[in-house]
Amino acid sequence: MAWSRKSAMFAALAIAMYLLGLVLRNSQLVTVAVVLLSFLTWAAFRTSHADVASSGRRVDDADADEGIQLHSISALRRISSARIFEDGEIDVTLRIQNRSNLSKVLEVRDRVPEVMRIKKGANYVLMELGPQRETEISYTIETPLRGFYTVGPVCIRVQDAFGLFHNEREIHLYDDFLVFPKMEDIKDAMIKSRVPKIFTGAVNIRNPGEGSNFYNLREYIPGDPMKKVNWNATARSAGKMMVNEYERDAVSDIILIVDSRKISETGPVSRNSLVYSTRAAASLSQYFLARRDSVGLVTYGDEIVSVDRDTGKKQLYVLLTKLAGAMAKGNTPLKVVTDRIMPHINRGSPVIIMSPLEDDSTVVSAVRDLRSRNFDVTVLSPSSLEFEFDARRLDRTGYEVLKTERDILLSELRGLGANVMDWEPDMLLNTALAGARGF
Amino acid sequence: MADENATENGASETAHLYEGKKVSSAPPSRKKAAGRMKSSTDIPEDAIPEVHVPTIIESFFGGPIVNTTKFLPPDRMVASLQMGSAGVLMVLSLLTFMVTPVSGTAWFALSNMLGMQTFGGVLHLLIIVGGLIGGLYGIFQRDQRALIVSYALLIIVTLRFAGSKVDFGISFLPEEEIYQKMLLLLYAVFLVMYMELTSGIIRFSMLDTSIRTGEVYVMQVTKITSRYHRSLLITPAIASSVAGLTLLINLIIPAFVGLFDDVSAQRLSESVELTSVYGVALGTVMVFTVIAAMFAVNLPLRIQQMRERNA
Repeated sequence: MAWSRKSAMFAALAIAMYLLGLVLRNSQLVTVAVVLLSFLTWAAFRTSHADVASSGRRVDDADADEGIQLHSISALRRISSARIFEDGEIDVTLRIQNRSNLSKVLEVRDRVPEVMRIKKGANYVLMELGPQRETEISYTIETPLRGFYTVGPVCIRVQDAFGLFHNEREIHLYDDFLVFPKMEDIKDAMIKSRVPKIFTGAVNIRNPGEGSNFYNLREYIPGDPMKKVNWNATARSAGKMMVNEYERDAVSDIILIVDSRKISETGPVSRNSLVYSTRAAASLSQYFLARRDSVGLVTYGDEIVSVDRDTGKKQLYVLLTKLAGAMAKGNTPLKVVTDRIMPHINRGSPVIIMSPLEDDSTVVSAVRDLRSRNFDVTVLSPSSLEFEFDARRLDRTGYEVLKTERDILLSELRGLGANVMDWEPDMLLNTALAGARGF
Repeated sequence: MADENATENGASETAHLYEGKKVSSAPPSRKKAAGRMKSSTDIPEDAIPEVHVPTIIESFFGGPIVNTTKFLPPDRMVASLQMGSAGVLMVLSLLTFMVTPVSGTAWFALSNMLGMQTFGGVLHLLIIVGGLIGGLYGIFQRDQRALIVSYALLIIVTLRFAGSKVDFGISFLPEEEIYQKMLLLLYAVFLVMYMELTSGIIRFSMLDTSIRTGEVYVMQVTKITSRYHRSLLITPAIASSVAGLTLLINLIIPAFVGLFDDVSAQRLSESVELTSVYGVALGTVMVFTVIAAMFAVNLPLRIQQMRERNA
């Protein structure tokens, strides 16, 4: 049984009045104090009725190590989805059952993660639940930010009519759900590999081979299938048989590198470099995987977490799960990441780095190394400066100085042959990608 | 036309559109700034979050003592509590005036020293009236500060050195001890009920505001409010019975001893200690020892188990 602030104040007042009454030999004060104490005692007695012994445990449940018990109440929760994208909605249904033969007045609060918003209904309900009855509470939560979340526990409270004492119990009922980063529909990432794999994919790579797009005309070589013969061209070429050549369609290895260092979370919770990077990585993963490319992911912060290259829808969910769980921690330099992954990826593969490029002196040498090994490097750099400046946490002079430093760094990276885009907060990913490729 | 209706803040009054109701159309500065802000624009005042640093008292009590929630207009439950509290306050003020004499108070001693004896009486009355007015203001404005001032004034007015004898402010009140104690009990019950009802006003106003803003959902509101109403009747009755036992211990003990020895009973009933506040202290110890024993043997739990079995 827990005391409320009101009951503590009443008790303190009663004791003070009682002692003062004895000192002053004042019957009025003593009488008021005694009535106040009796009032509190009765309320405590009534609250203790609510299922709990004065020791805070039921006799028959004394071995259960849960402290205060409200054992006749049970709860069952159902959530509409365990995987959802940012800005999605989850419907939660909580069923509360009273297995006791007495009716109870309960306060039920289903704990929802702080960042979530209750869109419809309420997770905090006050009700009277009859004997052997059950009821259902429904509410909808909005999921504004990516991450792993848990709904629960269910807190149940019984208190006396005056709100003086209460008994509380937490029903350890938890439901986990995953919020994936929001994805943007990409029309064309304009990124192709110079070293396609041997399997046929959806990307034509400007090399002759098996494909669907016309590439060139050439003279017939014995062994060419007759269906490739271009009869119109043959008629125009004075007796030489001409055949059509097609662009080779292939799959590429795409490596996405997401900076999840502590600094990448600079800015407001919903508008910072890490949020933009994860959303971009999710969108790119979806785009490349739909193109039948093989996509790998590396996130680095306090440690380097990598997902090996693979294709298909399953890989998309693996990547989205990793992106949902990316936490801003640590300060691993980019060079350490590139040194670690370079031996394992095909030379010439596109590497897309999503990083604010701040507080890392190894960026230039890392990109230089990648470029020297002929990797097609694209850098999408959401600018923390813009987030900070928009949030009014940076003054004009500081912004100008830092912006200049940043521009110099970006120019240096461009000079190394990397496709670099200073990604401003209001710019769409499509535009940023096009900008990075010089369009 | 627009300029005619513009206020000094630049807000347009739309009283002419809303049947005389004054509706300001000026948005908060944050909204106003949206889309117009440049990097050189100053930060709007309402964009800077307010950081509340708890005071020492708030830290000690684990939160603010006075509620600062802005309530919506009172619903029927709150309005009925307000009327009830006002009625209880009226009766309490009258009872306070009746049972608290000015003699023995600090202001009485001061006025005697100054040679203005009526000043003490006037001040005494002013404290009671202050408690009444503060209480009424607090009840209808739902202002906890005014209510606390009212509680304090109605308690301060009883602070006097009484010298063990029960004195009343009005001379024609009963002289018999049992009636005197009943009157005292009535006064004490009204004071406690006044404190409970006024805190109930704040509690139910908060609940009502939370319900109306969708923060809390209440199933079967009437059942919950009727439970509160029922408790408002039962609890004071029980509390006054327990307190009555405590206060009348100087009659109960001699009556009990009288079963065995009349002379000792007579001596006990005439004992100064037993009839003074120290007798009440003894009664408190006895009654609350019994109550503590009830808790010690888990009586609440056993009653609960019995009720469950019989339900």
